[in-house]
Amino acid sequence: MIVAKLIDTTLCIGCKACEVACQEWNDQEYTLGTFGGTYQTMPDLSHNFWNLIKFNEMERDGGTSWLMSKYQCMHCADAGCLAACPAPGAIVPRANGTIDFVHENCIGCGYCITGCPFDVPRLSPTTKKVYKCSLCSDRTAVGLEPACIKTCPTNCLTFGERDELVRIAEARSVELKADGFADAGVYNPPGVGGTNVLYVLKHASEPEQYGLPKDPQIPWTVSLWKGPMKWLGSLMFWGTILGAFFHFVIYGPQDPAKHGHPEKEDEPSDKF
Amino acid sequence: MTNSDEIRIPRFDAYERVMHWMSALSFGYATLTGLAIWSPKLYWMAAVLGGGFHVRGTHPWSGVVFAVMIGVMFRRWAAGMSLDADDRVWLTRLHKYATHDHGALPPSGRFNAGQKMLFWSQVATTLALFATGIVLWFPESMPRSLRLASIALHPLAAIGSITNILVHIYMGTAAVPQSMRAMLRGYVVPEWARFHHPKWYKAWRASHHS
Repeated sequence: MIVAKLIDTTLCIGCKACEVACQEWNDQEYTLGTFGGTYQTMPDLSHNFWNLIKFNEMERDGGTSWLMSKYQCMHCADAGCLAACPAPGAIVPRANGTIDFVHENCIGCGYCITGCPFDVPRLSPTTKKVYKCSLCSDRTAVGLEPACIKTCPTNCLTFGERDELVRIAEARSVELKADGFADAGVYNPPGVGGTNVLYVLKHASEPEQYGLPKDPQIPWTVSLWKGPMKWLGSLMFWGTILGAFFHFVIYGPQDPAKHGHPEKEDEPSDKF
Repeated sequence: MTNSDEIRIPRFDAYERVMHWMSALSFGYATLTGLAIWSPKLYWMAAVLGGGFHVRGTHPWSGVVFAVMIGVMFRRWAAGMSLDADDRVWLTRLHKYATHDHGALPPSGRFNAGQKMLFWSQVATTLALFATGIVLWFPESMPRSLRLASIALHPLAAIGSITNILVHIYMGTAAVPQSMRAMLRGYVVPEWARFHHPKWYKAWRASHHS
């Protein structure tokens, strides 16, 4: 069963209880942030802060509007971090759809940071390894819902079977459309095979307004590196090694006694 | 009268030999650690070399040592590495060289045209590896566009560089007897010099036995 998290951004009141629950459950140290003149707790995600409620404040719909969004790992079906990771066993796609980082296998190269189209993984300056939301895999493994879901007071967050949540999300956007939000819809980008974190957005045609990429993809340079370039490398290395070996078998070494030529005989002798 | 085998022509002085082997060792280490991270099939090499985490830490430093040594090599050798008219003809007859038809080749100087091409392609790939390597070393300080380009360009430059060096190792060991001694002990015998590097040999002879 693939599980998912549904974020109905229209129901978020910006209480940040999910941020606190995330910090508590994952036993994260508290790091003093910076105050940027907004209602946001932190300016950005960090290695010890995996879940940020963004207050996207803007002038629209005839007034000031907050487009709330929950910035965290999207647990992509086709994950860019996993595609880019060179260390076997460091990023593990669990059977329930969770993309889990296994830190004892992480080598700290940071390729996942580059491969992720959502800019989520963060490098720890102390452990030199990379961290992000695990969808509370240590809770879901024993049948509990993630900490952020458990604590949400408005039912903005729902956890459950993915197919069921997609149905709920679509029903909710139909409801929103009926309420006059013509652009309402579900964010479930197909470029990464869909995400196991789904959003209901009031302005679904402009996900950038929520800090979400319009059409996230696994970067083509990552695919090139992991795909055709491996073939090119094998071809070049084995071709050269075998070529050199058979060159030796056929022609042998260069030998001045055998391969010298008449012109050179005119040159000064090496007998003195 | 002296037996020609006892005459030693100095080919590489100690500075050049140390510079060459420092490059070779750092390149070898960077290659092994790089290949380990390059393909999951070669990841066992990381375990042999101290584990993936260790390898990720040391690989960039071996790259820095290699790039510095290539810089030293450039200062020492670049002036003598430009192709002359003979070299250009030599390159068009590469197949003659490969099939031991040395009579068809114009005479080479201290380095033949193949060695010169190796030098320049190593300089080019090292520049590319160094620039993209710095980008990949500090992912959180670099723009994503540069990191995305480097993820593909770094291994591409490495494939070119490693392929060159595989040819270089074959030439320096099995294909050209006595060239290894030149790089390890620094000298060659006249017969070798006259055959492989006639113009260089003539110049040496002119200055020593006129």
